[in-house]
Amino acid sequence: MAESVCRTLRDGGLEGEHAPALTIKDSIASPFGFDVFCHVLTQLSSFILAGKSQSRGLVLVAFCRSPSFYADLLKSKGIDVNSSNKWVRILDCYTDPLGWKFRLMGVGNLRDLSCEASSTGILCKDVKDTNKLYSSIIELGKGLVAEAKSRFSVAIDSVDQMLRHASMSSVAGLFSNLRSHGQVSNVFWLLHSDLHEVRVTASLEYMSSMVASVEPLQQLTNGQRDDSDKASLTEQNLKKGKFHVRFKRRNGRVRVMLEEFHIEQSGISFKSASSEEVTNQGLLPKVQFSLQLSEKEQIDRSNVVLPFEHQGNGKPIQIYDGRNSLMEGKHETTSVSAGNSETNEGSGGGEIIYYRDSDDEMPDSDEDPDDDLDI
Amino acid sequence: MKKLELGFQWASSKPKLLLHRSSITTLRRYQLTAHGNCGKRKSAENWVRRSSRRNTNSSANSTRLNSELRSKQTCPKDYQTGVSLLFLLAAMAATKTRGSSFSRAVSAATPSLAPGLKCGPNGTVFLSSGIPDLDKILGGGFTLGSLVMVMEDSEAPHHMLLLRNFMSQGLIHNQPLLYASPSKDPKGFLGTLPSPASSKDDKPRDRDTDQEKGLRIAWQYKKYFGENNPNFTGHRDDKHEYCNDFDLRKPLERQFLIRQHVDCVSLQDSMNLSVLLDHCGTFLSQFPRNDNNSSITTAGRIAIQSFCAPDCGYSNMEWHMLSFIRSLKSVMRSSNAVAVLTFPPSLLSPSFCKRWQHMADTLLSVKAIPDEDRELAQLLTGYQDMVGLLNVHKIARINTQAPMILEATTFSIKLQKRRYLVLECLNQAPIDGSSGASYGTSGSCSASSKTGRLDF
Repeated sequence: MAESVCRTLRDGGLEGEHAPALTIKDSIASPFGFDVFCHVLTQLSSFILAGKSQSRGLVLVAFCRSPSFYADLLKSKGIDVNSSNKWVRILDCYTDPLGWKFRLMGVGNLRDLSCEASSTGILCKDVKDTNKLYSSIIELGKGLVAEAKSRFSVAIDSVDQMLRHASMSSVAGLFSNLRSHGQVSNVFWLLHSDLHEVRVTASLEYMSSMVASVEPLQQLTNGQRDDSDKASLTEQNLKKGKFHVRFKRRNGRVRVMLEEFHIEQSGISFKSASSEEVTNQGLLPKVQFSLQLSEKEQIDRSNVVLPFEHQGNGKPIQIYDGRNSLMEGKHETTSVSAGNSETNEGSGGGEIIYYRDSDDEMPDSDEDPDDDLDI
Repeated sequence: MKKLELGFQWASSKPKLLLHRSSITTLRRYQLTAHGNCGKRKSAENWVRRSSRRNTNSSANSTRLNSELRSKQTCPKDYQTGVSLLFLLAAMAATKTRGSSFSRAVSAATPSLAPGLKCGPNGTVFLSSGIPDLDKILGGGFTLGSLVMVMEDSEAPHHMLLLRNFMSQGLIHNQPLLYASPSKDPKGFLGTLPSPASSKDDKPRDRDTDQEKGLRIAWQYKKYFGENNPNFTGHRDDKHEYCNDFDLRKPLERQFLIRQHVDCVSLQDSMNLSVLLDHCGTFLSQFPRNDNNSSITTAGRIAIQSFCAPDCGYSNMEWHMLSFIRSLKSVMRSSNAVAVLTFPPSLLSPSFCKRWQHMADTLLSVKAIPDEDRELAQLLTGYQDMVGLLNVHKIARINTQAPMILEATTFSIKLQKRRYLVLECLNQAPIDGSSGASYGTSGSCSASSKTGRLDF
């Protein structure tokens, strides 16, 4: 759910723990990842402004949209932009990622770009060097939050652009360094999953603690529907879709949540899923019946005195034949009770119930009974 | 022959032992056929005489007697069950020294071992994994000279639990340790190693001692032997237990970390895997394995965490990583050490994932479980305490061709009292009695129609 995602980001990470990281991924079937990204961005910004979140500032690394776009976006959401230089910094990797314009500027052909860079950000001229990116982000963040203990959030516009210029391992290194930096409260990024190999997406999911995927409500399968159906489905997919989130919780369990979202003029809105429950992948292996005894059962079982257990205690051996007559007048152990009577001053232990097969046997057959009837 | 009807009833709070009179005579018969003449036992003739007293017709007696005697001989099955019953009791009464009655007798010249090592079958030596349940499942522990691989689940950090216990156990036993991880500062992880549970905390192992205290025998041995029952209690814990229970909430005392220098390697730095391999080689040269196997003074441990993590420079060089593992395995074979290597299989291509799995001597995998899954909660007992699942895919069998076949390969990982790592068999939750299910309908014990999930 989008709310819980934003709340988790807002709460940030604990001391000594990696900062929570969110991957937002989408695909061409439902290409609204950027809307989700903007939604999360604005939510987090409002939390920061209101002072409710762990982080005091936000560093936005803009790859696929210009900084002015973000300024307009925040303004349109009603977030105060005038004070924005107090809590947001934008690392502009959009204007001149590879430093071409800068180099051309040196020749004197282009006007100076530095006036375009607003006071809220710095221009990055070399996105290939992830170490430099990392240091710029940290520098911006530290400049944003005054004290050494406060934290800031990092939002990365588009990982795809980063991966165009740098290798997967360096980008992964950058993200893990960001997460483990003491002052970073949370990190989130956007990814278009169909632009990359499965391995890349898997690596990014490996490194994040929440994975939010934007999926179409119904998958379009080729060749199974005719055109009119396809058109209506596509149209439907362009208006709404599924928002599927997997949370990796601290105790090692995975929480899966599902929501529907709608695209409207003003943005994106979320509502709870109306359709079927999230189906978990069956991972159950062979399950056995429990052959163990519970505590209570063990205690009960240990209280039953087994047939010959009372021997060797120094008491005279007394042969039991199930008749009441032998019980009276003799000093008996507490565990043996008459089989025929229902009442027993049960000692809390079990009882041995002995059913005589028949009562009319000749008495003399029992006069000299065997020793092993001494139960 | 009437069957022996001995049984416990659980229905009431006081279990009752049901004995029918006929079963007592059967008990008697078993005893006689097995023992023949035994001490004070009445001989078979006496018994026969007594039973003949029952019938006044003596001729009928003799024929009946003959037929019964004959029937005894022609019923070898009952004889054998009687004999086996007694053998079973006798076997249980004796202190167990060996795992199975078919194992070869241990040769007189057992190698003298450092504390923390244990002799295993077929000339192998075990060292503890740090988790008592896992040692039991694997038949003693990790075999010296083997490579253990753990497949991680990218959604859960359970492999860290296994690694922590493994490393702590090594430090407790003063075994040198090499730790490699993809983080920039692997030394930081050493601060999270757990400490063994102190004896004053109640450990989760109490039930084992109960079983050893004394076997309750439902037979008449006490009458003959008096009060001196054989002492079944296990050996008292000496200073160095083979495997400690680790309290995950208590950090390891500094003295253990200082006493043994832990070699920490950051995998991020090594672009070249051959450097890492050389490092491992020099570490392992401290524990060479001699053929005469006279004594093993120290054993070493190597822990490599998340070997193919994406932030390592070599992570897309799949053939190089595979050849590293193979070289490591070959060096391990000639040294007295155990290496545990964890990797997330989702980051490898499927063919390489399979190749890596084949490289392992012992292969385990950990899996995350979904949170608040009502179906799983209905299906399994103890779902609330479970944090994950552990699968045992392969167990190292060195010097033998006989495989080890386990009863169960999947275990639930639980944290008892949030402190102790416990592995338990998965048990099906009891079926609701009100539904009156017989086992035939138990396939639908989960409300959904996912019968495919339940696999007997």
